[in-house]
Amino acid sequence: MSIKKRPKKSQDPLWLRLLPIASVVLFLAIWEAVVRLRGIAPIILPAPSAIADYLALMIADGSLPFHLGVTFLRIMAGFLVAGFFGILLGVLMGMSRIVSRLLDPWIAALYPLPKISLIPLLIIWLGTGEAYILTISAISAFFPVVISTYAGIRQADQGLLRAARDLGANERQVQLKVVIPAAVPSIFSGLHLGMGVTIILVVAAEMIGASSQSGMGYLLIRYGQVLETEKVFAALLVLAVFGGVIIKAQERIDRWIAPWAIGHR
Amino acid sequence: MDIFVENLVQIWDDGGDGITALDGITHHFASAKLTCLLGPSGCGKSTLTQIVGGIEQATSGTIRIIDPANPATPARPGERSVMMWQNLNLFPWRNVIDNVAFGLEMAGVPRAQRYAHARDMIASVGLKHFEEKRCSQLSGGMRQRVALARALVMDQPILLMDEPFAALDAQTKIVMQEELTRIFERMRKTILFVTHAIDEAILLGDEVVVMTARPGRIKEVIKIDLPRPRSQELINTPEFGDLYDRILHLIREEVLNAMQQQNEAAAQ
Repeated sequence: MSIKKRPKKSQDPLWLRLLPIASVVLFLAIWEAVVRLRGIAPIILPAPSAIADYLALMIADGSLPFHLGVTFLRIMAGFLVAGFFGILLGVLMGMSRIVSRLLDPWIAALYPLPKISLIPLLIIWLGTGEAYILTISAISAFFPVVISTYAGIRQADQGLLRAARDLGANERQVQLKVVIPAAVPSIFSGLHLGMGVTIILVVAAEMIGASSQSGMGYLLIRYGQVLETEKVFAALLVLAVFGGVIIKAQERIDRWIAPWAIGHR
Repeated sequence: MDIFVENLVQIWDDGGDGITALDGITHHFASAKLTCLLGPSGCGKSTLTQIVGGIEQATSGTIRIIDPANPATPARPGERSVMMWQNLNLFPWRNVIDNVAFGLEMAGVPRAQRYAHARDMIASVGLKHFEEKRCSQLSGGMRQRVALARALVMDQPILLMDEPFAALDAQTKIVMQEELTRIFERMRKTILFVTHAIDEAILLGDEVVVMTARPGRIKEVIKIDLPRPRSQELINTPEFGDLYDRILHLIREEVLNAMQQQNEAAAQ
């Protein structure tokens, strides 16, 4: 008898493992060379070294940390509201045919609607403050969460339900102890989709409509308008890294909450 | 527990005339005996076990489950039995001990007490020190042991086993068969064991019920009078060989019938 071993990390040769880094370095070197040799105006395409200088500057003067922090908080707020209501309604829909019949037409009608098209209405109703940004991002992230949760509950392995009943579980226990845990991998994938949408919508709302003059979306639009292309690139770079960090962190949290669910998705 | 099955019929709804899975099964599964149900795939042997276990409802027929020590109050199907499933149906989000203790938890047994029971049972199936492992970290044979412990901890007099060892490799299967033999000889439960392996049926069973291809009927009941305790060495004895030949002869006909049915179904 032996415990199944985890699959070993790749035994690829060193040069193969360094290839991704080499690819990035090579790309930046060519970029830098082309800009310098051809004398391209920084307003069109700044060199990577210039972008790095501005990035350092924006970090040093505190503007980048501030706007990134604001965007992060907005993303978290939208995501938490969407996650809470998405899971709650998804579970209720999965467990009650009445609730699912009541909500089904609304979800079917609103899910395919591009959420950005709600911006004019939301601004009329909510103004251009934080409530507007929170609402647009939460509404957008809500749909993937509620749909995945509902599907996870509906698609619970019937064999597990029968086994639980055979072991004496009553219907309430079957729901709480089997159906909901069985839906966790599906809920996680809904939350991942929801997070991606939240990031997009928060930045989009900061770019369009919001009057707060803060956040990464605002920064991008402002620098774009005054043709500070180096700063636009710097902000984009930060946003890309930030998105990657959030997704990785979310995977870590998944693994920590439900290690068994990894690979079940 | 004696299990009296009388004239059991199971017809699955297929939108038309229905598919007859079981056609008038009548049999007495004797108390404290291990009965093997043997037949070609699709003969309804799993269905029969699930009906006895109260998991499926039969279309018609009766089941009486009677404690020989207390014959006046028969039990309902499922009330005094527990199933070990073909695909195990372990809960992937629970570790070994919480899988084993599931039934006790549902019954409201306090945590300390149910863990103590579960720990004992885990040790008795040879999984000591694996209590905190996730089921996905275990090998196939070890997962079988978890499923066995989860069923045994319920302390029910009837154990229903639906081809539990079918997916195991040959060596692990031998070990698990010996383990089951040992447990059966110690605990003397009433066991219904579904299998399609002739040698397994002879090795484990006090009785082998050979079933026909669909619709499932009982073709023949064969007593296995080989002495207990049994071990794999039995396979080399002439008595085992005779039983094997006899059952093989019975089952070959039915397997051919079943294949014929499948071919016809595929041709339609």
